[in-house]
Amino acid sequence: MPETVSPPTADAEPAADLPAAEPAPSGEPLLPTGTRGRRHHPLTTVRGELSPGTSLGLGVAGVVVLLGGWAVLAAMTDTYLIPSPAEAWRAAMELKADGRLWDDLTASLRRIGIGYAISMAIAIVVGPLMASFRSVESFVEPQIGLLRYIPASALTPLFLLWLGIDEAPKIALITVGTVFFNILMTADVARAVPQELVNAAYTMGAGRFTVIRRVILPHSAPGIIDVARINLAAAWLMLVVSELLAAQEGLAFRVVRAQRFRDVDTMFAIFIVFAVIGMVSDLGLRWLRKAAFPWSEGSR
Amino acid sequence: MTGGLIVRGVTKEFPSRRRRPPVTALDGIDLHVDEGEIVCIVGASGCGKSTLLNIVGGLDTATDGDVLVGGDRVVGPGPDRGMVFQGYSLYPWKDVAANVAFGLQCARTPRAQAKARVEELLGIMQLSDVAHLRPGQLSGGMRQRVAIARALAPQPDLLLLDEPFGALDAQTRRSMHEFLLHVRHSTQCTVLMVTHDVAEAIYLSNRIYVLSARPGRVAAEIEVPFSNSRGPNTQRDPRFLDLRDEIEDLLHGRAVA
Repeated sequence: MPETVSPPTADAEPAADLPAAEPAPSGEPLLPTGTRGRRHHPLTTVRGELSPGTSLGLGVAGVVVLLGGWAVLAAMTDTYLIPSPAEAWRAAMELKADGRLWDDLTASLRRIGIGYAISMAIAIVVGPLMASFRSVESFVEPQIGLLRYIPASALTPLFLLWLGIDEAPKIALITVGTVFFNILMTADVARAVPQELVNAAYTMGAGRFTVIRRVILPHSAPGIIDVARINLAAAWLMLVVSELLAAQEGLAFRVVRAQRFRDVDTMFAIFIVFAVIGMVSDLGLRWLRKAAFPWSEGSR
Repeated sequence: MTGGLIVRGVTKEFPSRRRRPPVTALDGIDLHVDEGEIVCIVGASGCGKSTLLNIVGGLDTATDGDVLVGGDRVVGPGPDRGMVFQGYSLYPWKDVAANVAFGLQCARTPRAQAKARVEELLGIMQLSDVAHLRPGQLSGGMRQRVAIARALAPQPDLLLLDEPFGALDAQTRRSMHEFLLHVRHSTQCTVLMVTHDVAEAIYLSNRIYVLSARPGRVAAEIEVPFSNSRGPNTQRDPRFLDLRDEIEDLLHGRAVA
């Protein structure tokens, strides 16, 4: 069949066999023909947002799984190796009833409190000075670089020799075991103060020490709380080391003591106390940061 | 005479690595700002205009040349030269009033006197309502007004502005221009401002220095013919448009070459 090709004209009808792109008649809703893009459930989205309730629920579920795993493990093994959560709880109540728990707790908290406070006090002075003066940094950094690689726990015998067996060597160990990390991390926080904030202070007539006191320290304060919070775990580590050797009371001492009597119930009870204290102090410091420095980015 | 800036033969070289010759950022800059003037420095990015401002502010040192303010040589930063930076650089932990009071506290101004000065400046900058908010709670335009008020608080001989409106949107920027003219009118301060916005420079200043790039040199010094009564119509004045074209040509001609 011969085809006749006619030039297209303005009023030419579209060929009947071609699909016509007809606009939807007005008034009739336009229905989507499919979907584009991909959507994930909030629980499995990278950096997805969760409601506070869901977050809390997941957290509680995690702790329940942990306790459940413990219970299952305890049921499967000899009770002289792993006590059940109930047995550990009973041991904790016994310790509490006869006052030993309170004595151990206060003894350990006192050591941590004093030792770590000294460590942070040194860090808050030395760290910002290192960050502010290149001369201090050049002088101090190599010293810390060497000293911090001597495991503080290896110094225990020396501290016992120097300071006796009372509280002093324990406090010293906690201080020495954390101070270098605290100094270096505090210096990093102070170095992160934007140069423009420092320059602005100079152009308003601030002297060097005014800049440190009124710009560098206030800007660093929330970060210093974070440093204290992170390195607190190391302080507990040093506390345990100190109490393992020479102590009459204290949480770690109680664990060592319990080993002598194969009293795993008491050991687990103390482990729970460690975990709870750690978590409470962590949450407390987070809250402090938020309450004291509402202007800070990380506080929100 | 208190104010008045003279920059004489300022050269800035940055040492470069691997035995190459040093990079010259500024090459023999001569300029002056008389008391009560607003002078702008315009130049393409990388012409060293911010470095020049930092040298005047005393935050950077020149390799060669002198900076004189009121006849004294600048050797470091001081409250006689207030600075405003593009990034606001407000103290986020202080509220607006405390930010503005910073320089007064450095000068140990008596409390009552400092309070009065802060209130006066907040009034001029129309910030009285937000005096007790922190910078994080303010818009960009408000933050920059706080920064200007803060720089003015110690009554500097010279106000140095480093692309102060660069981070603002066009509308806020326009209202900030009116603010700056208003501030200048009510405080009679001497201003040296760095910008890359040619229209902004013409609208605000009495004179303009055009800087060429690499190395930064003064390519032209241009008198702006408008009196101090400027308004929205100034920007439609044929002289304004001619001046803008002339400066744009200077900048781009240099950039292409």
